[in-house]
Amino acid sequence: MASMYKTEIRGKLISGDKSLGQISQDILRPIDAKTPRWWYAAMTMSLALFGWGLYCKYITVSQGIGTWGVNNTVAWGWEIVNFVWWIGIGHAGTAFSIFLLILRQKWRTAINRAAEAMTVVAVLCASLFPLLHMGRPWLFFFIFPYPNTRGPLWVNFNSPLFWDFVAISAYMLISASFWYFGMVPDFATIRDTTKSKIKKAIYGFFAFGWVGSSKEWLRYEGLSFVLGGIAAVLVVSVHSIVSTDFAVSVEPGWHTTIFPPYFVVGAIFSGFAMVLTLVTLMRKLYKMEDFITDSHVDAVCRILVFISLIMGTAYITEIFMAWYSGSEYEMYTFFKNRITGEYALQFWGMFTFNAIIPQLFWFKKVRSKLWVVFIISLLINWGMWFERFNIVVTSLSRDYLPANWAEYHPTWVEIGFFTGTIGMFAAGVLLFFRYIPMIAISEIKSVSKYDKPMPEPKIEHHD
Amino acid sequence: MTKKYLVGVFDDEHTLVEAFEKVLDKGVKVEEVYTPYPIHEVLHRMKKKTRITHAAFFYGLFAAIGLLGFMYYAAVIDWPLNFGGKPFNTFPSFIVVSIVATILSITLLTLFTFSARAKVFPGKKADIIDIRATDDKFIIVLDKDELGTETNTVTELFKTNGASEVYEKESK
Repeated sequence: MASMYKTEIRGKLISGDKSLGQISQDILRPIDAKTPRWWYAAMTMSLALFGWGLYCKYITVSQGIGTWGVNNTVAWGWEIVNFVWWIGIGHAGTAFSIFLLILRQKWRTAINRAAEAMTVVAVLCASLFPLLHMGRPWLFFFIFPYPNTRGPLWVNFNSPLFWDFVAISAYMLISASFWYFGMVPDFATIRDTTKSKIKKAIYGFFAFGWVGSSKEWLRYEGLSFVLGGIAAVLVVSVHSIVSTDFAVSVEPGWHTTIFPPYFVVGAIFSGFAMVLTLVTLMRKLYKMEDFITDSHVDAVCRILVFISLIMGTAYITEIFMAWYSGSEYEMYTFFKNRITGEYALQFWGMFTFNAIIPQLFWFKKVRSKLWVVFIISLLINWGMWFERFNIVVTSLSRDYLPANWAEYHPTWVEIGFFTGTIGMFAAGVLLFFRYIPMIAISEIKSVSKYDKPMPEPKIEHHD
Repeated sequence: MTKKYLVGVFDDEHTLVEAFEKVLDKGVKVEEVYTPYPIHEVLHRMKKKTRITHAAFFYGLFAAIGLLGFMYYAAVIDWPLNFGGKPFNTFPSFIVVSIVATILSITLLTLFTFSARAKVFPGKKADIIDIRATDDKFIIVLDKDELGTETNTVTELFKTNGASEVYEKESK
């Protein structure tokens, strides 16, 4: 198939009528230019947060998880909340690269690199939480099913926690390799266009000798086809498995069949929101308006309004099912503990930020104001954090046995650990902005022709 | 041993594809085409095939069998543990790990296959014919010895079909 259907709905994919050479120059400018001052300021702040996080991790490891606010009843606190939150954010990369690739959405080419970068850093942040919650992180390799001298005692293949371990490590390796191989042709472009000898050597090494021959492109296309096809399963499987961590237990509010789709949609929702946060920043700070056009932002907002409706439906379905089930424990969890109880703030925060505020995206005026879009994207991220808190803490703190009820408040160590991962994420994103082409150059070039008048199509063959 | 090449440089995909097809129609063998992004007409008519998708299928097949076999061995044969009276061979819950780990195996093995077959690996020195091919030029490279007396006709063909430059180059 030589050409795609062309529609006028989306507007231009790249504005400014750029030549291919200009496209490379424009995208590579931040790498060649002097590092801006705000970058150093932002990096210092991120590293400060990251350093503080490291100190809190040191406290956790040296003194034990007794320094956290978790207790026998609420054994999972901020750690699982933050873990699920980061993994959810990490879903944007695959959702953007794979789902939109399968749906043949050409506009994704401007955004997928940033989304994939974000995925890799977010999954790294996420993996720290279960690692340190093990208490003795230096023994984490016990979770690998390897022949050992303790029996050999194998891991329990029926446990969702083991599934989760497999899912997250696979997800991290696959997203990282997907991201890296997407960058190889772009590293070659840097190698061949830069004037600096040091950059030529460094990027030349990472380009793996890429020259853009038909032999390479042919196999590259084959590889993308295979990876795209199988990684599509991951978009659905990873967060389904995360949801089974909860759904397989018998806690009220967790033991529901709605969880896998509910978690997957929630993950894509928070991922897209974080992508929106990032690309609005990228567009403003690096003046990428020609690549991340208004219609790109518009498209992401439209997706968000759609997913927000699904989220609202899921919340209401959960509440309805609690009532319809007739189970007094379910009723208690939803009506007393979540909607009106001690953690009502988190419930209503979640509901407002995820199901109500994104409805503003129905209005073109809201979608076209970048700062409003930016603020709403931040609110959605916040709302998704509330959602995880709401699920984890309300169910655990008051379950079947009132004698076991307990409250949970995070300690400064837990809060520091979390803010540390935010610093780590920000630092990773800043490094990405500075040293890696933030838009996939070869992909954006391949779609640039759709903006130009097409030559007369040949009507010789149909395939 | 160095070889002599005839290099045609084009400014856009469309002119490259036209010239490329005309050269092929003349029965001349094209040594290689270098482009900033994949062009399906070129990949299609270069007559090279990739079996990377077939390889991926078999990696997946063997990985899935291997994983299920390993879990059966560990949980049923080697050290059976009674989890609340469930059967040792809890096949449905083995599926979860099998799917995810199979996808991981396919990805990694296919990546290595790609790396080996396309010869794209760390530390490889790029054999660059024309440095602009990764930026904004589309390059057709022909073996001059094979062309023989046809060199002039092909050069002419390139020029009349919109080549911005045609030159000769010696390379390995």
